[in-house]
Amino acid sequence: MAETAVSNESVVIGKTSKKHFFTSMAAGFLFLGILASIFGLSGVGYAMPIAGVGDFTIKFDKLEGTGYNFYPKFGETSSASGVPQGTNEISKAVITGLELTKEFKVGGNTIKVGITSDKPVHVTGLIQDASLVQANASFSNIEMAEHNTKDWTKQFSQTANTITLKDANIKTHYLFQKTITMDGMRLIVERVK
Amino acid sequence: MAKQRSFKQWRQQRPFWGATLSLLAGLIILWVPVNLAQIAFLPGSMAFVGYLFGGLIIILSILVYIYPQFSSILGVFIMFFSVLSVMGALGGLFVGTILGIIGGSLAIAWRLVIEKDDVNKTRKRKMNRERRQNGSAASF
Repeated sequence: MAETAVSNESVVIGKTSKKHFFTSMAAGFLFLGILASIFGLSGVGYAMPIAGVGDFTIKFDKLEGTGYNFYPKFGETSSASGVPQGTNEISKAVITGLELTKEFKVGGNTIKVGITSDKPVHVTGLIQDASLVQANASFSNIEMAEHNTKDWTKQFSQTANTITLKDANIKTHYLFQKTITMDGMRLIVERVK
Repeated sequence: MAKQRSFKQWRQQRPFWGATLSLLAGLIILWVPVNLAQIAFLPGSMAFVGYLFGGLIIILSILVYIYPQFSSILGVFIMFFSVLSVMGALGGLFVGTILGIIGGSLAIAWRLVIEKDDVNKTRKRKMNRERRQNGSAASF
């Protein structure tokens, strides 16, 4: 050991008590079992880290982006597995007055989670699936094209060098950003009902 | 040789394996949210909680090395966060959670005990053997 001599014949040594070890390990696994039974092994536990954010609303005053690309798709939402949507890809974007909101049903209550930013948000590599886009839009070098392919999602495409959206209200089902800088971010969680 | 002996002494003065397993658990738990960095801070995503649990387990494991006298309470916290990390980090695909529970249990069960010195034991054994040999020689 630990060779702190207490007397000529004895020393202080670090030992692991088997009884305490097995008792605490059993308690740990029991706690894990209780947690698993509460959340259910059917999905909530692992859905939380890996799931997307589902149906949520994005509002902003203005978006200025470059490298815009649009194509249709069928995608899942939190309430249905196949809903017609459109995928919007923007290489670089600056968004002002951004407000993201998502409502969850928890028991009989509705919880609203909101993220706002009062400063310009810089985004790169934006991919977003939406089923509703309401905005005042303007494009430059816009190109709409049909393609002869069996894959229906590639039969129509729309590209533009730049895109500007004002006073937008977008019902979004999937959102991915390569990088995002949100100065002045504020997260609000509140009960609606 | 002296280095090996001093490392052995250092290792024996703290719940080394408990802290090491816990540290490994923390790193594995942290691995999941690091791979989900893009969605970690979006609304509705719990992945950022994984950073918190993974980071806390790593800090607590290091504290077990530094303050072995508090290993029991630190072990309890390691186990608690390892199990909770199932939410937000999937417990490092459950491997982290299991390692955390075992590591935390080892830290909880570790304690200092007063024991007879090995050197004295050997010496005593040698003396007893000599005494027995002398005794049997005297009987002839």
